[in-house]
Amino acid sequence: MRPGDFASYTLTAVRAQRGRSLLTVTGIAIGVAAVVLLTAIGEGIHRFVLAEFTQFGTNLIAVAPGKTSTMGLSGAMIANVRPLSVADARALERVPDVQGVVAVVQGNAAVEAGGSSRRTMVFGAGPGVPEIWSMRPAIGRFLPADTGGARPFAVLGAKLRDELFGAASPLGQRVRIGGEAFRVIGVMEHKGQMLGFDLDDTVFIPVQRALAMFDRDSLMEIDILYDRAADSSAVAERVRELLVRRHGSEDFTITTQDQMLEVMGSVLDVLTAVVAALGGISLLVGGIGILTIMTIAVAERRAEIGLLRALGAGRDQVLILFLLEAVLLALLGGAAGLGIGAGGAWLIGTLVPALPTRMAWDFVLIAEVTAALIGLAAGVLPALRAAALDPVAALHDE
Amino acid sequence: MRLDDTIASAARTLTTHVTRSALTLLAVALGSAAVVLLSSLGEGARQTVLDELTALGTHLLIVLPGRNETAGGAPPLLGETPRDLTLEDALALLRSARVERVAPVSIGEAPVSAGSLEREVTILGTTADFLTVRQLKMAAGRFLPPGDPERPAPFAVIGQTLAKELFGTANPVGQRVRIGDRRFRVIGLLEAAGVSLGSNLADLAVIPVASAQALFDNPALFRILVQARGRAALEAAADDIRAIIRERHEGEDDVTVITQDALLGTFDRILGALTLAVAGIAAISLAVAGVLIMNVMLVSVSQRTAEVGLLKALGARQRDIMGLFLTEALLLAGVGTLAGIALAYLTVALFNANVAAFQLSVPDWAPLAAAAVSVGAGLVFGLLPALRAARLDPVVALSGRR
Repeated sequence: MRPGDFASYTLTAVRAQRGRSLLTVTGIAIGVAAVVLLTAIGEGIHRFVLAEFTQFGTNLIAVAPGKTSTMGLSGAMIANVRPLSVADARALERVPDVQGVVAVVQGNAAVEAGGSSRRTMVFGAGPGVPEIWSMRPAIGRFLPADTGGARPFAVLGAKLRDELFGAASPLGQRVRIGGEAFRVIGVMEHKGQMLGFDLDDTVFIPVQRALAMFDRDSLMEIDILYDRAADSSAVAERVRELLVRRHGSEDFTITTQDQMLEVMGSVLDVLTAVVAALGGISLLVGGIGILTIMTIAVAERRAEIGLLRALGAGRDQVLILFLLEAVLLALLGGAAGLGIGAGGAWLIGTLVPALPTRMAWDFVLIAEVTAALIGLAAGVLPALRAAALDPVAALHDE
Repeated sequence: MRLDDTIASAARTLTTHVTRSALTLLAVALGSAAVVLLSSLGEGARQTVLDELTALGTHLLIVLPGRNETAGGAPPLLGETPRDLTLEDALALLRSARVERVAPVSIGEAPVSAGSLEREVTILGTTADFLTVRQLKMAAGRFLPPGDPERPAPFAVIGQTLAKELFGTANPVGQRVRIGDRRFRVIGLLEAAGVSLGSNLADLAVIPVASAQALFDNPALFRILVQARGRAALEAAADDIRAIIRERHEGEDDVTVITQDALLGTFDRILGALTLAVAGIAAISLAVAGVLIMNVMLVSVSQRTAEVGLLKALGARQRDIMGLFLTEALLLAGVGTLAGIALAYLTVALFNANVAAFQLSVPDWAPLAAAAVSVGAGLVFGLLPALRAARLDPVVALSGRR
């Protein structure tokens, strides 16, 4: 038999039992579609989360007080005997490749303006915020760099401005934050939520003012923006050396954004893989479908196999014919599943904008290859049975 | 046809084609086992988290300084506020009849040293009631002594990890340690409680709250843990706490009160939804198994055309034929599901017997849901083949042509 004959024989066999083939293909298609769709959702969430974290820029290094680095709250952020000071932040500005430094204290206080008051998140920060966190003022300006930055200026988040001033311009207005008077010099542009924190329901004040307001010595974090071209670990090492020199010991924790994104990326990758594996169960069940249908096909086509053998076809040729049929069913299922899955992902992405989807092509490839392999594996037993038939006995069945 | 005739006939058909039936059963069994197993994984995770939350204490309320007015937003976790939550505030809470115990918590980080060894750990300042409120146990020695909470005392209780790092296998009780620039005597060792929701209770030192405030030169409390008198009093106690603090803070409502029930409810909902989602994904495989049942049934109908013709010629009604084939489909789905559920329970039992760290737990609804979905699939996907069989023309069918 020529290769063309193999192909046309297999196609004829699949077409001859149209309803049956269609159902078998459907089984595999559902499995592949499940994997494609689920990984598309997983990949979409992956990108969404990474985008949330990179909205502040990617070439960042964070320094926090305290040596223990847990993902949760570190006690050292609240209180410690060896504070991370504003002077430390100043000193870090002189480290080579460092482009900007912002010292951060975060707290909670009532902000009052006119007759209204709102309890909200207070950020003590420096003039570097627009550059380092990529958050720009929509109107007015951010905290100025002059005179040590300690003047009583405040920059409102978009939501806080709406709550306190409505449509009126807050620029130049006086507000009381934690009982102290500040003048509004800017309003930040809309930024949205991150991990449950509303970044618009917030107010920025100079870090020195915040330290005084909350009656503390230590910063909670120092964020450092470094030259994009520089190596993050080299910059981190220089930061470490400088702070060790200033503090006498390593009583702080340095986290580079690279590391954090890497850790988060790998966690999300595992999640996507798990979801893909769950969808893979359906693919396995679809494989059993191919196995069942091929077993039935071999039993029904004994006479045909006997005839083929009588006409001179070898055992290996019969084997290949049935294997091809199984793989063809699986491939058709894989193609249909890809179509359904991609369509479904597009539909979800369009109808539910909150749930971003994105095709995870590596998993799509894995799903397709797995489908083909499952088809091959499912075809082996029936094909072996067909090849092992005795031509005389098989022909006799007719 | 009588019911037992129908069942016997369907069962005979299935046993005649052993391979085909066995493979279909396998498919259904895999699908239902996946549903039950994955939901038991989710349920196990839910139980673990809820147990951990419950172990935090009974009838617990947590008072945080600061309050955000963002609807549904996160509470102010770091808790820096212009007006501190003070030890006096904490002690004032005892005025409420619905408050049984109060444990103020101030927290920070400082180096703890003994001899030449030093380790930087979390320092937790609190009072004697902390042990009861947080339901902790002592491994050796005793906890902080009761007494005037506003008076510092050079006593420290340490966790297991810290004890091992500083003293090795030696008994830490009675030893002297230096925390920051102050000297303390270790009077007790906490029993290993593991990591509970982010706070590592093994790697810390507990000192009297007044000592911690002096050490960190910070009068602000980080949290106040409150134990209410009974579960029913939780909400009322929360109201009392807000009222007392408001009174003390010149009318300002500047604390957040979280009840343990609210916390439990939130985690319960999240993990419950996750379990359902995972079980739903597994249920897709049951749909695939349903398609296979339909396929096998169609083959069965086409092979038994002559038989159906004969049955009809002998007076069988359409209903009887439909019943015959539907019974076959339902038998496949039902027996497959039973096998799958049994397989799942066996796996869960084996897993739980061999893994101590995490226990799987089959939720009550899982086997029922698996059975309902697969039998439903059997019914739906068996319907078309059964209809095809029932509508066969007896004459044509008997003549053997399709």
